[in-house]
Amino acid sequence: MFSLFSSVEVFLETGLVFSLIAMGYYVSYYILDFPDLTVEGTFVSGAVVFGIMVSKGINPWLALIVSFLAGCVFGTVTGLLKVKLKIRSLLCGILVSTALISVNLVVVSGGMSGDFSGQSNSSISYGRVVNTLHDAFFGDIIPSRVNNIPLRNPLIFLIVAVACKILLDMYLKTKSGLILRASGDNGQYVKMLGVDPGKSTVIGLAIGNGYSAVAGALYTHISGNVNQSMGIGMIVIGLASLIIGTSLFKRVRFLKPTTKVIFGAVIYQACLTVAQKLGVPSAYNKIIMALIFTLALIFSGKVKLKGVSTKC
Amino acid sequence: MLKLDNINVSFNKGTVDEAILFDNFNFEVSKGEFVSIVGSNGSGKTTTLNLICGTVTPDSGAVIFGGKDITKLSEHKRARFIGRVFQDPKLGTCSNLTVLENFALADNKNKPYGLTVAISKKRLDYYRQLLSDCNMGLEDRLNVQIGALSGGQRQAIALVIAGMTKVDMLILDEHTAALDPKSSETIMQLTDKQIKENDLTAIMVTHNLRYAVEYGSRLIMMDKGKIILDKSGEEKKNTKTQDILHIFNEISIECGN
Repeated sequence: MFSLFSSVEVFLETGLVFSLIAMGYYVSYYILDFPDLTVEGTFVSGAVVFGIMVSKGINPWLALIVSFLAGCVFGTVTGLLKVKLKIRSLLCGILVSTALISVNLVVVSGGMSGDFSGQSNSSISYGRVVNTLHDAFFGDIIPSRVNNIPLRNPLIFLIVAVACKILLDMYLKTKSGLILRASGDNGQYVKMLGVDPGKSTVIGLAIGNGYSAVAGALYTHISGNVNQSMGIGMIVIGLASLIIGTSLFKRVRFLKPTTKVIFGAVIYQACLTVAQKLGVPSAYNKIIMALIFTLALIFSGKVKLKGVSTKC
Repeated sequence: MLKLDNINVSFNKGTVDEAILFDNFNFEVSKGEFVSIVGSNGSGKTTTLNLICGTVTPDSGAVIFGGKDITKLSEHKRARFIGRVFQDPKLGTCSNLTVLENFALADNKNKPYGLTVAISKKRLDYYRQLLSDCNMGLEDRLNVQIGALSGGQRQAIALVIAGMTKVDMLILDEHTAALDPKSSETIMQLTDKQIKENDLTAIMVTHNLRYAVEYGSRLIMMDKGKIILDKSGEEKKNTKTQDILHIFNEISIECGN
């Protein structure tokens, strides 16, 4: 039990990071019913952009925003493939995330000095300054450790996650946000209002992938390096967090779905940490992920997500 | 006001299943008319509406609206001047949004959907007024999700929404067919009231011959992609349900159903 307590910071950190992907999925999958596979690519893109900018000495908060925008651009591409070329949702994501593997490699090798042979395992390590985000903004406000538990990253990630949550909630209350929710629900209705529901698809995917890119940036902030394979599994993590959050707290009316999603992500990571603490070798990580996700689906009572209240 | 000019529509073109529905079909509606269309299944009623609304594009021919050729105009752009109520009450409203959110969206029609707050408190009384005009006990249910309402209530709201902003034409696609007799009667009266109050041009497809005879200023019967009966003015007023039923039976027997 004690050893679990000492890893609180680990699952808080990763949970908050992945809560961003889950929030993105809340928009693209839960609201728009679009199974977006682009996030695995944009997760790495966000990390690449952040890694390069930070290693060039640019303010990490600015780097975070640029990562978000990069994710938005790639999400827009997926959306346009779907809306303009009428390609199936799953294929759009596969196409863009495949293309992003090259884009990420090229950007990494262009942005960094060193040997990048273009192999899929090529990674960058940037001169990691621990607490980069913290030092750039807070000075020395947050104590680095309490009871030997590092606090800075979890707290900063909490701030980022909550800020993203509030922004998303605010957006969903605007006219554009309401049209987005209506598009996922009843595209015909949106057409009747004289609006092309495809526009909402593009906006929703831009937001979803923007958030995924921020998650990638924060993830690389923990580890201090960018790895081309770090995006693998993000779809499952994002969806599992989303479903765990929304189904566990289904009856809790006063919580907004975005809040539930953050809880879901942290709970999911906590489960994984427990599994590791019980001595499961890390090679089994992904299979445990898939197992927990399956359990979440079973216990949520309905695999089908649609029809659950999306009231904000 | 509306003109379907030499329209050709066929389905499954280029295959053995090719079926020609419209062969040089012509149809005209003048401003202020309330046209009821009846006809058996497969006669082309709904396709006519789909042509007007842009859900179906003709193989050849033109759709002229108010003197402008709108044949190539997309469905959502046409929606700016054509309102539509569907048979399925689910299509005319958003089930996951509340009544208020649905109204707020419809209220903003033809204006940009930007980053301003969607729901304006100032409009609440107006929305309540619209709801109480429906006489369905909806006025206190602004914050209820549409999905929790009955089909009749949803259809009433769909009707209100379709007519909320100034449209030039209202399309009613068997909009009472999925409702029980009483709700259907209420919706029909609401429809008539709305059309008269707003001086709308309307086209209604219905399977209820009595509605077709009782309401509207013009009656059309379609069969196999052709208009076989077209009565308006005095002639329409003197038409009885029995007469229509008689003709309807004749064409149905020919079709074998």
